[in-house]
Amino acid sequence: MLALKIAWRNIFRHRGKSLVIGSILALGALLLTLGNSVISGMEKGLEKSVVESFTGDIILVSQDQIDDNVILDMAGKPLEDIFRYDTIKPYLENSGLFTGFVPAGKDFVMALNEHGGTPGFAFLLGINFADWQKVFPDNLELLQGQWPQSTGLIIPSGSLEILYTTMGTWFSPPHSELDSSFMPKDAKENYGNLRVQNDIVFMGHSATNTATDIRMTVDAVVKYKALNVIWGHFILTDINSYRQSMGYFNQDEEQEEISAENLALLSFDSDNLDALFGNDMDFEEMFSQESVSPEKEEFVPKTEEAGVYQMIFTRIKPEINRQAAMDSLNRLFAQEDIPLRPLTWQTASGVIGSMSILIKASLNVFVAFLFFVAIIIIVNTLSMAALERTSEIGMMRAVGARKGFIARMFMLETGVLAFVFGNLGVLLGFIVVLVIRSLNITTDNDMLQLFFGGDTFNPTFGLADLLLTYAQLAAVTILAALYPINIARKITPLDAISRE
Amino acid sequence: MNIVAIEALTKDYSLDSTTVHALRGVDLNIKSGELLSVMGPSGSGKTTLLNIIGCVDTPTSGKVEVAGTDIGSLKDKELTDLRLRKIGFIFQTFNLIPVLNTLENVEFPLLLMKEQSATDIRRKAKDLLHAVGLGDHLHHRPAELSGGQRQRVAIARALVTEPALVLADEPTANLDSATGASILDLMVQMNQSLGTTFLFSTHDPDVQKYAQRIVKIHDGLIQDD
Repeated sequence: MLALKIAWRNIFRHRGKSLVIGSILALGALLLTLGNSVISGMEKGLEKSVVESFTGDIILVSQDQIDDNVILDMAGKPLEDIFRYDTIKPYLENSGLFTGFVPAGKDFVMALNEHGGTPGFAFLLGINFADWQKVFPDNLELLQGQWPQSTGLIIPSGSLEILYTTMGTWFSPPHSELDSSFMPKDAKENYGNLRVQNDIVFMGHSATNTATDIRMTVDAVVKYKALNVIWGHFILTDINSYRQSMGYFNQDEEQEEISAENLALLSFDSDNLDALFGNDMDFEEMFSQESVSPEKEEFVPKTEEAGVYQMIFTRIKPEINRQAAMDSLNRLFAQEDIPLRPLTWQTASGVIGSMSILIKASLNVFVAFLFFVAIIIIVNTLSMAALERTSEIGMMRAVGARKGFIARMFMLETGVLAFVFGNLGVLLGFIVVLVIRSLNITTDNDMLQLFFGGDTFNPTFGLADLLLTYAQLAAVTILAALYPINIARKITPLDAISRE
Repeated sequence: MNIVAIEALTKDYSLDSTTVHALRGVDLNIKSGELLSVMGPSGSGKTTLLNIIGCVDTPTSGKVEVAGTDIGSLKDKELTDLRLRKIGFIFQTFNLIPVLNTLENVEFPLLLMKEQSATDIRRKAKDLLHAVGLGDHLHHRPAELSGGQRQRVAIARALVTEPALVLADEPTANLDSATGASILDLMVQMNQSLGTTFLFSTHDPDVQKYAQRIVKIHDGLIQDD
């Protein structure tokens, strides 16, 4: 109490210095509050934009899938296949972990330029439209055309822009007027002379690297409500069309009986093709080869869900912790020998995860810089204050005050300043956050969308952020007070007498 | 009984490349209840002697016992506690804590000791302030007091812990002669009424009439006792 009383009164006695230190602390607290709010808002926004809009909480991929970056792998590497989803589905349904899940095929396709120019490229996502909308309701905004029923093609405005830039063709649903509102500047300027097509030829590739062309009519142009610039790279189609373009079998395809002779020829595996025409050709030996594995026979699915997919998007029940869900899934897959592995949305959406980490790191560096500057100024001011009070401190030490008392007195003085001005700064920061939120600042810029965590700049300041800000302020206060306290502790009665 | 016992005390200071011999072999015993004045010109070593007796400085050689404790072997914390419990200080100028009022300044050493109740501490401080003639200035801050009044508060604070020894380094140096005289009168009065040992340094020959015993010091040696 005695140390606190002296500390409190010293604050008012040295008003000027107190005000300098307090102002730095208030400014620091304000900027910390803002920084933490932006980081928090970005994290929450990104999570909402990514999880609710596209990836779900956990993505299930094949056990053989080595690379974790399965969503935005720009190299376009094909993902490992998931077979027999129809047998996996009941396990997922009975796990009690999910509010919903939807399987999808995902691969890179080339959009052929029928006018002889540069082709376009896009990610093609094969889904069941109804199941997709159950898991990700309301994530798309229809800009043009009509929602397809069971089959069709949905192109996001982002992909339209990319295809237009590379191919010089604008794709639009049939029987609908051209809408320039979501066109890039270049297309708007060419509005009258735009080369418009209602269908698009995709060339996918099969596992054996054979190309399959498929012509598809554009049903709808959409916009992802959040992070359209990122998810806009993904063109949506029904799973059967997707499989067709990628060379997979569908359930409606006939399984043709192949004669033993043709089977042997199809499965002939030798570098010496001339041997097929040579005299020493041993047809008997060729015909005896078991060349079609049982798995290959099962490859022609009986139902849509028995066909090939590459990933399963899942939404975890809100009450279940994501890490706990990951652990449960790993246990389930190991116990039931299911050839899947779970990935968190951060891992699966590599680039976004990295970008958000980069932006967060940059903000943290900014906050650390603030820390550093604040500490230097406070250390300097407090050290000066300690030295100016040599006589007073020396006298206190002479009449029996221990070093600990002096240290406590200084710490309390800085602590009281940090408490009062820190809270003032936090309050001001909170008000600024509220003002920013009320301004409803939106952007279409890619980087800003990542920074905002979505289309809208929505910094948030919750209890966790408040506690983090207080912890950072406490760290600043303690670090800033350590050196001046050490100076004060070292002042001896003799220093005071010598000064006199 | 000796409150202070000093044998062959020396104190050297290094000043750049030269060594200043502030005390060059001092032997001195101070009995309980004495009112002793150390006199000498500036630079004679009287302040150094008081500092070492007051445990705020350490000897270069020799033996110093204060209230029966050899201070040579004590650590900082033990020296601080010895100052708190056994020694009272009255300095020339910087005497009081500016942010505490008169009463709180006197209470300060007792609050550091944490041995008595707040009520007892307050009562004791008030009694002493009444005794030094500042009963009407209990809630004044040091800045609102005259030099003489501040020294009275310092005397009250020095006495509040009932120390074995009160040290006063030129307590009247910054006061006019009338105020200085009243402070010395007060010290004599306290010495007689409480039996507390007082040791004060001065370079003013007029002050010697107040002391029971005068030790003259010159060039770091006791010249006359």
